[in-house]
Amino acid sequence: MATEQGSGRVIGQAIPRLDSRNKVTGRAIFGADVKLPHMLHARFLSSPHAHAEILSIDTSRAEALPGVRAVITAADIPAEARYNAASRFHAFLARTHTVFVGQPVAAVAADDLATAEAAIELIEVTYRPLPVVATIRDALQPESTPVLHGPVDGEAGGGAAAHTAVVTSDDAGPITAASPNVVDENLYEYGDVAAGFAWSDVIVEHTYTVPVVHQGYIEPHAATARWDDEGHVTVWEPVQGTWAARELVAGALGLHPTQVTLHSPEVGGAFGGKCEGVFAPLPVLLAKKAGRPVQLVVTRQEELSGANPAPHSIIRLKTGARADGTFTAIEAEVLVDAGAFPTGWIMSNITASLRDNYRFSAWRMHGREVVTNKPSATSYRAPGGPNFTYAIESQVDELARRLGMDPVALRQRNLIREGDLLTSREPQGVIGAQQVLDALARHPAWQAPAPARLGADGLLHGRGMALGSWAGSNGPAAAIAILEAGGRFRIVLGTVDITGTYTGLAQIAAEALDVSVEQIVMTHASPDHAPYAPMSAGSQTIYAMGVAVKEAAEALRARIVAYAAGDFGVEPEAIAVDAEGVFVAAEPERRHSFGTLYRLGTEWFAEYGPLAAVGSAPQRQRAPGFAAAVAEVAVDPETGKVQLKRLVTVQDVGKAINPLLIEGQMHGGATQSAGMALWEEIAYDENAQPLNPSLLDYRMPTAADMPQHETVIVEAPGGDGPYGAKLVGEPPIVPGLAAIGNAIAAATGGRVCDLPITPERVWRALNKGET
Amino acid sequence: MAQTIELTVNGKKEALAVEPHLTLLEVLRDSLNLTGTKEGCSTGHCGACTVLVNGEPVSSCLLLAVEADGQAVTTVEGLACNGNLHPVQAAFIEKGGLQCGYCTSGMMLATVALLAHNAQPSEQEIRLALAGNLCRCTGYTKIVEAVQQAAEEMQLAAQEVQHGD
Repeated sequence: MATEQGSGRVIGQAIPRLDSRNKVTGRAIFGADVKLPHMLHARFLSSPHAHAEILSIDTSRAEALPGVRAVITAADIPAEARYNAASRFHAFLARTHTVFVGQPVAAVAADDLATAEAAIELIEVTYRPLPVVATIRDALQPESTPVLHGPVDGEAGGGAAAHTAVVTSDDAGPITAASPNVVDENLYEYGDVAAGFAWSDVIVEHTYTVPVVHQGYIEPHAATARWDDEGHVTVWEPVQGTWAARELVAGALGLHPTQVTLHSPEVGGAFGGKCEGVFAPLPVLLAKKAGRPVQLVVTRQEELSGANPAPHSIIRLKTGARADGTFTAIEAEVLVDAGAFPTGWIMSNITASLRDNYRFSAWRMHGREVVTNKPSATSYRAPGGPNFTYAIESQVDELARRLGMDPVALRQRNLIREGDLLTSREPQGVIGAQQVLDALARHPAWQAPAPARLGADGLLHGRGMALGSWAGSNGPAAAIAILEAGGRFRIVLGTVDITGTYTGLAQIAAEALDVSVEQIVMTHASPDHAPYAPMSAGSQTIYAMGVAVKEAAEALRARIVAYAAGDFGVEPEAIAVDAEGVFVAAEPERRHSFGTLYRLGTEWFAEYGPLAAVGSAPQRQRAPGFAAAVAEVAVDPETGKVQLKRLVTVQDVGKAINPLLIEGQMHGGATQSAGMALWEEIAYDENAQPLNPSLLDYRMPTAADMPQHETVIVEAPGGDGPYGAKLVGEPPIVPGLAAIGNAIAAATGGRVCDLPITPERVWRALNKGET
Repeated sequence: MAQTIELTVNGKKEALAVEPHLTLLEVLRDSLNLTGTKEGCSTGHCGACTVLVNGEPVSSCLLLAVEADGQAVTTVEGLACNGNLHPVQAAFIEKGGLQCGYCTSGMMLATVALLAHNAQPSEQEIRLALAGNLCRCTGYTKIVEAVQQAAEEMQLAAQEVQHGD
């Protein structure tokens, strides 16, 4: 019988992904693998200007090219389409203005890609260039040129729920003289900050910057659309949330959501960059005009220059501490560059979360989000988490150095506890932060003496650690459990499986039903065929959908037991379940196999209805996921080059449903954090032109850059997830950057506050004053 | 003007009329419907499109199909034999060496080529051999473990064959 923590029979087993075989044989169908009869291929014309007014577009030569079947511009967008100038989704084709380099201005569908590309060259656009808002500094100027053009309705934005009005948390009204490009402002204040700093023995203050980075999924965005005669369109698009993607297409084109069927094929990586998709309205509109199916596959250059990367931030941070290590006051000035459309929440989240892992007696957290003429920023694995954690964890490391304290002990001393006030003024819940720090402190990587700074190899060696957390999402979710032919159990759900969640969900269903994982059949259904599922984002799939699957399975089990009890003329309590079926516990020979039960519920003149049940779970409690990292580096003092020698991640997952897949998440997240720390940046020139939109120049970690990443899974109580599970996917990216930065600081004695920590920056930190 | 070429793909001879601008990747995916080979960047930097040409790993996005005329090409679809997975495929599954699966075809083919040249690669040799294949999900740790396991199993299988003689 399943218990609250699971029996250990299925929950906690390291089972390879159920879809592995399809993937290693090349049979899995990803976005660009969808092929339809008479399908056309699409390309789009990108704006070469970061900011310009469109004076005219002449598509006549493109339309005349043989093989071209449709050309669209904003003039083809239906009048009933919603238009909010603050929404990236509504700007899938530039209307009156282009607001970032790479924004689609027109699109073509043709018989083949070469023809579509040739047609794009024939489109003539006349632009009137406008002053470019290229940087946060530009955007803050009261006289800066407005980036948003047209009506702003305050509902939809670049992210899930953009609010474009300037808001403050404490009803204080706008705090700063607003530039037209400051789109969101938050202020959180508590206690007497000035007194807190006056009381401090040590104060550290620095400004930390994180550049624009790309989520780096290897599969570029792709979408395929086909209309039928009923004014209904089917879209195949790899996305994290099919309901959200359906809403995007419907809203952008003025359709009712039920006019759009949205199938997500396999998703070739997403990490927040494919929440709702971005480009699908282009092939949908082209397919309508051409009267044939259309596929658009975005190129890597378009991905890196004009998709939806993660935001650039500048965080000025000041923290104080007493000589005994007690933290006093903290003050933060947060600036987030949203790109051309508001993110809606990333700045707010950074500002409200920055100090929440530690106790302070007073704080003043002020954040502003600005829009600039760059591609709109969106989520990337714990959106904003790496940005603010790099700031606070670098600063805590420096406090430890200044105070002469052990960095783990300093963190343990000031760690936030259950019931403490968060910046949001909600009390902190039950968390595993202490257990994570304890496990890190016990790890051989931390127990060993710190490496000698100057090694025999002539390199500078250092070790650093950092703590991080992520609150995650916790959406409502529903799933269906069905007793299937042959005694199998089908779980129908709308969740998109990216990280192997269907394997974990099958384990949850098997546990709840008291059967084996092999008896579970997982069915991914589009919004046409499944109850609502939240997007696979915010680490919520196992935590939220897991509860719905568990409830559906338990409800089905209860119905099966009631059915059998009725059939055998006993009370339900007298019925037992095993892997083969149900039986009277006291008389095991009186049994129905699951196959028999299926038949009894489906044959003509059946006495009972078919056996099925729905699980429908509301939003869960928050169960923040804590992770900590230890990094060891070797730095070449001549060149500033950093080698990452060791990286360990410790993470509290509540209850490990599938340790194999959790380790995989930890490895992936930690490696992305190394990329952000050391190599990755989309650079822009003063006209907001991207300088490195290729995978040669946008430098993601390769196998040769990384050591074997080590993991420690901690299981601490908290939250109300299935069998005690907490969120998994996002926390492991959070602490790695600062752990690496702190290791480099230990090795070099100099701190690099601007990411990525390039050899040049390391060299400059080593040779202060030299150029 | 289409040109006629002949490829041996996964052991099967294919005569094709192809436009000279088409890459081997496009011909494999669009003409032969072998969509297991993926496009990630079309500039030769991500390795997702890696196939074996005469046993050597090649970025199929950088090779024109006409340049491959007369060559033997192995794609992911050619790894399993009569429904039995290649040891590299089996090891990737067992060790969790794949997540989203998009880089997996290219990663496995690069592994097959590595193990053909070096039956017992060190961790560093594995990392260098796979450095041209980007993976964003796994952080490479479990891929390295999968390659090590495949190497061991292929060694064992080779020894068994020898003993069988």
